Amino acid sequence: MLKAVGGTALAAALAGCSSLIGAGTNENDTGGTQNVPDEPIQAGLQTFTEGPASVLGLQAQYGAELAISRINEAGGVAGREIELDVKHEADAYVENYKQFVSEGKDVTFGPISSGGHAALAPEVEAQGVVNVATDGTVTTLYEETVPDPTYSFRFQNYDVMECVSAARETVNRLGAENVNTVAGINPNYAFGKDEWKVYTTALKKLTDVEIVHEGFPDLLADDMSTHITEVNNEQPDVTFSSQWGGDVVTLMNQAAANNMFENTQLVGTVLYSAVNDLSQDVVEQAQAFSGSRNYYWGEPEPSRWSPGQQLLDDARNQWDIVPSGHFMSGYGAVTAWATATQKAVDMLGGWPSQEQIAMSLEGHGFFTPAGYHVMSERHQGLSTSYYGEMEWSGDVGAPILTGVNSYTPQEVSPPPGTTAIDWIGSW
Amino acid sequence: MSVLTNFITHTLHGIQYGFILFLIASGLTIILGILDVLNLAHGELYALGAYVAASVVGYVVGLVPPPTDPASQAMFVAVVLGGAVLTAALVVPVGAAIEAVLLRPIYDRDEVYQLVLTFALLLIIKDAIKFGWGPQPVRLQSVFSGINSIPAASLVGLNYPTYNLVIIVVGAITVVGLFYFFNRTKTGRIIRATAINREMATAIGVSTDRTFTLVFAVGAFFAGFAGAMALPPTNATLEMGANPLVLSFVVIVIGGLGSLRGAFVAALVVGILSRWATWQYPPAELAAPFAIMALILLVKPDGLFGTWGEIDG
Repeated sequence: MLKAVGGTALAAALAGCSSLIGAGTNENDTGGTQNVPDEPIQAGLQTFTEGPASVLGLQAQYGAELAISRINEAGGVAGREIELDVKHEADAYVENYKQFVSEGKDVTFGPISSGGHAALAPEVEAQGVVNVATDGTVTTLYEETVPDPTYSFRFQNYDVMECVSAARETVNRLGAENVNTVAGINPNYAFGKDEWKVYTTALKKLTDVEIVHEGFPDLLADDMSTHITEVNNEQPDVTFSSQWGGDVVTLMNQAAANNMFENTQLVGTVLYSAVNDLSQDVVEQAQAFSGSRNYYWGEPEPSRWSPGQQLLDDARNQWDIVPSGHFMSGYGAVTAWATATQKAVDMLGGWPSQEQIAMSLEGHGFFTPAGYHVMSERHQGLSTSYYGEMEWSGDVGAPILTGVNSYTPQEVSPPPGTTAIDWIGSW
Repeated sequence: MSVLTNFITHTLHGIQYGFILFLIASGLTIILGILDVLNLAHGELYALGAYVAASVVGYVVGLVPPPTDPASQAMFVAVVLGGAVLTAALVVPVGAAIEAVLLRPIYDRDEVYQLVLTFALLLIIKDAIKFGWGPQPVRLQSVFSGINSIPAASLVGLNYPTYNLVIIVVGAITVVGLFYFFNRTKTGRIIRATAINREMATAIGVSTDRTFTLVFAVGAFFAGFAGAMALPPTNATLEMGANPLVLSFVVIVIGGLGSLRGAFVAALVVGILSRWATWQYPPAELAAPFAIMALILLVKPDGLFGTWGEIDG
């Protein structure tokens, strides 16, 4: 089966199954290598390497670097090793991509930002060098911004998936009859507004919930206490937040200081992105439900699925971090492109064009340590998402997720040809 | 939560925010009022204070026991405040060096040179922070939770973080101290006199070089102190200097350029009104300070206490 997803050795290495690599290193398994250039593959990644978003961005970079090191150790893509050039994303999404293209990059990865991805995707279509976004998960990207993409792809589950998962998780844990009021504290830009809209739309379909407060603090806001006080005042059954990275720490620290967790249940899509920065007292007070996008190292149980544990060990040994869903953003984007390209090489017997790589990516299925993924016909990555309660672990020295529930793409994403809001509206 | 309790809590948030704004804006307005220099690097001195505090305050609080009883609680607060003052003192030489080495030679040139220089300093300080502390945010969570573990507001039945009360008290003491310094001390009067008339001050034997260096050092001190006090509830990032700089401009424009009293009143006005606005209409959060500025300038175009070129107590 693995051969079908792009070269046995390569696919097995990227799935984290090192024991299988030896079985796939002969010429027959790696496919034809005629007309394949000798020089290394030049790849570009734009991500946040500094500043508050580096909490996510460096995880994505580390994930991409680990995937590339595994690819290179397994002999490369059709024998070609990958060299990675990393640029700071900042607000130069389009400029970074253009520079990558002018430098002759074979493939580009990133960005993290939703707003940046909306700006970048049309340029990718114009330039014609395949970009596999790590994140930039705004729902409307492939519904409105670039409705018929050729070269633009996105690995990470998009907003509708993690917000519908969050709504289902809310109802699963609290019971529909106990979810009557909801408040939101979300970042004031495309991602935060998109997530709040999708979450509340889904939750209204599942419950008779009423919205009692909507707060949109700016990115990097150093004071969220006004919204926290309103949550304390309204005491909603649920408070939803799509804050990420450093803003999660600010929100949860100030919420704990204002005793917010006594008055509401916090549910967040990416609270776990701050796994390396949350303190024990706050995690224990919060008992928050958090998603971890499409990767959580402890699920499935490592005894049944060892690649998750291997990825955790590698991340801790090499970078002294607990890998989050954003680590998988980088790892998965590289894996999607590498396995699809290897598959194209196997079929063509030579190095594919950008268009052929793009065609190979459409509908492509592949494994990572997070499990099985599909790059849908609409260029949107689909994979199982994970939710659990954040609980402090003395062994890990960081929060872990307990009581993890998983949601398959079929449960939380619209079928082809349907927009997210129309799909939720049809429930 | 009762209506009154909710109102009091939101107002306290505004007062606390106002004092943070004043701590940041005070240094900027002192330098602007006396030296006629719009220091674009002020926000980065604030950021530098936050980063230094992460190391210095983080280190010193590790030397004392966690706050559990009244004695250890008092010691913890004292050590945190002492660490914040030490942090600010460490930023002072940076400010003094900027004035003495870089600004002094270009006082006679067009103001655009000062703007370019201080903007360059903004970038240099940011790079220096990145070199010293790395690209990722730093935190001082132990200080925030440690001081909040002291039940202060709950004694009067209010749910309000003790750390925020500390900021209000420290801010109030700073205001009184600054006004006392400029109005009652000899050094403060000399500084004001120099600001009003440099030639006359020089004629009576005042060293304007030393005075100006002192003023810039005082400005840097308050920027660093504000950074140290603002860090515990949030985190320090490489981008953190931009917002305080912009909000400081808002505060000193509302207060009247160069007026310390104006900066204080404006900081509290912006702090309280913007928090009330966010409470009543959350989408107004970003626009509130600028809307307040626009409304006040419509009524008083020179700001509340406009006294350009002079620090007034």
